[in-house]
Amino acid sequence: MKIKGDSDQPLIQESMEVPIRKKSKISGSSVTGWLFASPWVIGLILFYAFPLFSSIYFSFTTYSILSPGEFVGLGNYQQLMSDGLFWKSIYNTVYFAVFFVPLSIIIGVALAMMLNMRVKGMAVYRTIFFLPTLVPHVALAVLWMWLLNPGFGLVNGVLDAIGITGPNWLGSVTWSKPSLILMSLWAIGQPVIIYLAGLGDIPQELYEAADVDGASWLQKTFKVTLPLLTPVIFFNLVMGAIGAFQQFTLPYTMTQGQGTPDNSLTFYVMYLYDNAFKYFKMGYASAMAWILFIVIMLLTAIIFRSSKRWVHYQGK
Amino acid sequence: MSNSIFHKSMVGFCLAIVLVLAACSSDEESGGDTGGENTVQFWHSMTDTSGEAVEYVIEAFEEANPDINIEATYVANQGEGQNEKLLTAIAGGNPPDVAYFDRFEVAAWAAQGSLEPLTEMAEEDGISQDNYYDFAWEEVSYEGDLYGIPTTTDSRLLFYNKDHFEEVGLDPENPPATIEELEEAAEKLTIKDGNRFERIGFIPWFGQGWFYGWGWSFGGDFYDIETGEVTADDPKNVEALEWITEFGQEYGVEDIAGFTDSQGSGAMDPFVSGQISMKIDGNFGVAALEKFAPDLNYGVSPIPTPTGDNFKTWSGGWSVVIPKGANNQEGAWEFLKFFGSEEGQRIFSETSRDFSVIESVNESLGYDEDPIFSEFINILPESNSRPVMTEGSLYWNALADAVEASTRGNGTPKENLEKVTQQVTEALGE
Amino acid sequence: MQPKAKKNLLRISAHFGLLIASAFFLVPFLWMVSTSLKPVTQIFTYPPDFIPNPFQWSNYMEATEYIPFFTYLSNTTIITVFSTIGVIISCPLVAYSFAKLEWKGRNTMFIITIAVMMIPMQVTMIPLFLLFNKIGWVGTPLPLIVPAFFGVPFSIFLMRQFFMGLPNTLRDAAKIDGASEFRIYWQIMLPLAKPAVLAIGLFQFMNVWTDFIGPLLYLTDESQYTLSLGLQQFQSQKGTEWGLMMAVSTMMTLPIIILFFFMQRTFIQGITFSGIK
Repeated sequence: MKIKGDSDQPLIQESMEVPIRKKSKISGSSVTGWLFASPWVIGLILFYAFPLFSSIYFSFTTYSILSPGEFVGLGNYQQLMSDGLFWKSIYNTVYFAVFFVPLSIIIGVALAMMLNMRVKGMAVYRTIFFLPTLVPHVALAVLWMWLLNPGFGLVNGVLDAIGITGPNWLGSVTWSKPSLILMSLWAIGQPVIIYLAGLGDIPQELYEAADVDGASWLQKTFKVTLPLLTPVIFFNLVMGAIGAFQQFTLPYTMTQGQGTPDNSLTFYVMYLYDNAFKYFKMGYASAMAWILFIVIMLLTAIIFRSSKRWVHYQGK
Repeated sequence: MSNSIFHKSMVGFCLAIVLVLAACSSDEESGGDTGGENTVQFWHSMTDTSGEAVEYVIEAFEEANPDINIEATYVANQGEGQNEKLLTAIAGGNPPDVAYFDRFEVAAWAAQGSLEPLTEMAEEDGISQDNYYDFAWEEVSYEGDLYGIPTTTDSRLLFYNKDHFEEVGLDPENPPATIEELEEAAEKLTIKDGNRFERIGFIPWFGQGWFYGWGWSFGGDFYDIETGEVTADDPKNVEALEWITEFGQEYGVEDIAGFTDSQGSGAMDPFVSGQISMKIDGNFGVAALEKFAPDLNYGVSPIPTPTGDNFKTWSGGWSVVIPKGANNQEGAWEFLKFFGSEEGQRIFSETSRDFSVIESVNESLGYDEDPIFSEFINILPESNSRPVMTEGSLYWNALADAVEASTRGNGTPKENLEKVTQQVTEALGE
Repeated sequence: MQPKAKKNLLRISAHFGLLIASAFFLVPFLWMVSTSLKPVTQIFTYPPDFIPNPFQWSNYMEATEYIPFFTYLSNTTIITVFSTIGVIISCPLVAYSFAKLEWKGRNTMFIITIAVMMIPMQVTMIPLFLLFNKIGWVGTPLPLIVPAFFGVPFSIFLMRQFFMGLPNTLRDAAKIDGASEFRIYWQIMLPLAKPAVLAIGLFQFMNVWTDFIGPLLYLTDESQYTLSLGLQQFQSQKGTEWGLMMAVSTMMTLPIIILFFFMQRTFIQGITFSGIK
């Protein structure tokens, strides 16, 4: 128990400093803040404002890219509510997000901690874990169809060897989404790098202090490493959710835009894309985009709200 | 110490930007305005032998028209209907003068007013339907106007592995002609090990076995161009889908699905590796076979029908169009005309091995004497084009969905096809 | 004696675990390399062969002739390097203001920053294109480079998280010494966040290096094309040149692997605050 007090101490001290600091320099620093942020503020106005506002407007029209269309008010939104494939794509997308996001965080953190050990040849290991992210999607899609082939695929071959009859992965409505989650977890390199950078940011003193107190590996992990990693876990959670809801390239490439089998891999943005660029219904697609926006926004708001309870910033 | 290196490199970066910005802005000046007086900008998505072939066409054209200069640019086009680049260019008012264009999309784009009508110019120059296969001409026409000149075409047939036929005692020179014979052959050719296929005889929806082919083969139809009526649920179409569904159930849809993941893109073709004995594919599949399995002993024959006669197929293909707002329309038309002429067609087809849209050209190139190609050529006069309508892509996807849903027991074939009719009719009415 | 034996055991089991996991993660890459070396008739054999027979090294030569590889390589390099520089300059600066400075409107701006990532690019792509078209940048690499200098929301958010994680003690001490805010940022905070700066640089590099849709829309002259556009040229209606395509893919990954291999070292050293002052 002594350990807990000691390793937590720096954190507590920091957090006690906050109110004092805040009071001391509130005056006149707004200008500096805006100045620092100015490139991005200008960038937002130049490169984001017009496209975003246009797409809101389009969502109320029958804009088709090639012709401006006419104003239909909430017509697109109403029509979406009775569009069967729209709801199916929502189900698929939520399914994917619910399983993928937590799994990617657990596996990502575990991998990063493994890759942060001090053993010889770590540079090579780290590079290896990063490699799948670099393989182009076209190639990745074909490779997975091979690995998951029910007849000669490596995955079912391995399962066979231990006496399990593997499913028809990508051919089955039940297993197609789990297969995709498995594939996506493979390209986990980017979050892992972020966790690694986060681990690198943890002050060595904290571990030294914990060592002095004779803390075990498990105690250090849960009392030092994980709490101090929460800012980047938070980042990966938010970005993971945004990314999962916008899942597009891999399933689109793999099913050639068809979302087979039986639309079980038709994800939200895939359907949005088809509407925008195949059926000339950019207005409809824009309405879909803004519904998606509201959903992700609500979700992010919940994550942000909860973050006050579990994200620890050293700086606060 | 390392911090000062870090800082120095950051400052270095800043300097570098200034340099590149300067460099880029000068780029802009040289790149902004293209070409001289009579330059025709031409966007296409052809690589490989087709890319070579189009170069020859351009060469011949420039020789015949020394005052016109064709500036060809390769623009990636990822498969069907993914034409973002041309779309944005037209929307931005800065399109090329000529674009190589999937005929399947012509009606939809024409309805959006994004292609230049060519009717008058064609009439003046005496270019008419008589020059081309009927289906090819119909596909570049929309509501009485002409919007493109067809350039290539294809057709779909049954491919079968002759060695497999011999192995199971079927006559390799006498492939199935009726649906019944097809079923029998498929059964004989299939080798199942437990619930896994070592080899499967046939999968109706594999490769180019899209529903259009089956509907027509069963005697159905999809669209009445006169009345604008969508007939996905034509009783003959329902029959076709019922047969597909039964076939799927007999072999186990999920067990089959492992083979069909690749969508017949040639990415992982089980016909090449000898895991499927018969498939529906287009003449473009021949090139892939020659490349990946040059020793494969196979033949082609028309897609079986219930009666064993009245064979049907369908054809797609490409065209050249003038996008709305093109600068040099006169030059563009000259190029279109040349590409679609017998001379242009012969040059192109000879190198690309894509079929010409002109029957006499295909004959003069000897396609009708090649044992494989002749089968494809012979059926062309009987071929259909997919319905020429503004919702062609939606219709296509909806039919694919209906096949998927039916084979997986998600609604009966009749229900699913009725849904397609309703969905497409609604979209057309909007 | 005992602790040492225990440590050895730990080390061996660590290697063992890492090796098994590595095998799993190596498969796609090895498969790509192996395909890049296969003769065309071996690509679709059943069951698949993982080892090319014979090794067709000529695929690499052929691939660089099939597309103007070196032109595309230098185009890709220019675009990637400059947009990476842009992100490295702008994002930490903006992120610092979100993390450590107090200013009116900060939270609103931060929410907007996150929010703009939630709209799929598929619907903003066209208006953005029209915008660049209007100012005459279509046909130049500028739309692919310049916006990076104004910040990328993903990287700003990531940098902000890192700055938030840095303690305020150093900053407060410097403040008392009368250092300007920019000096504190430049000389104290930025060096501390070096691993994160390198990480956002790497991500930007990767994204731009492999970006397809941006170059497709904005580059109009084949002499300006990038490698990812080149990759598409191996696919045609008559099938894909898998061997050649994988050869180019393999060559495309090499710079990133090398870059990563050298920069991952910075993740190893934890920060020691005592050494900085």
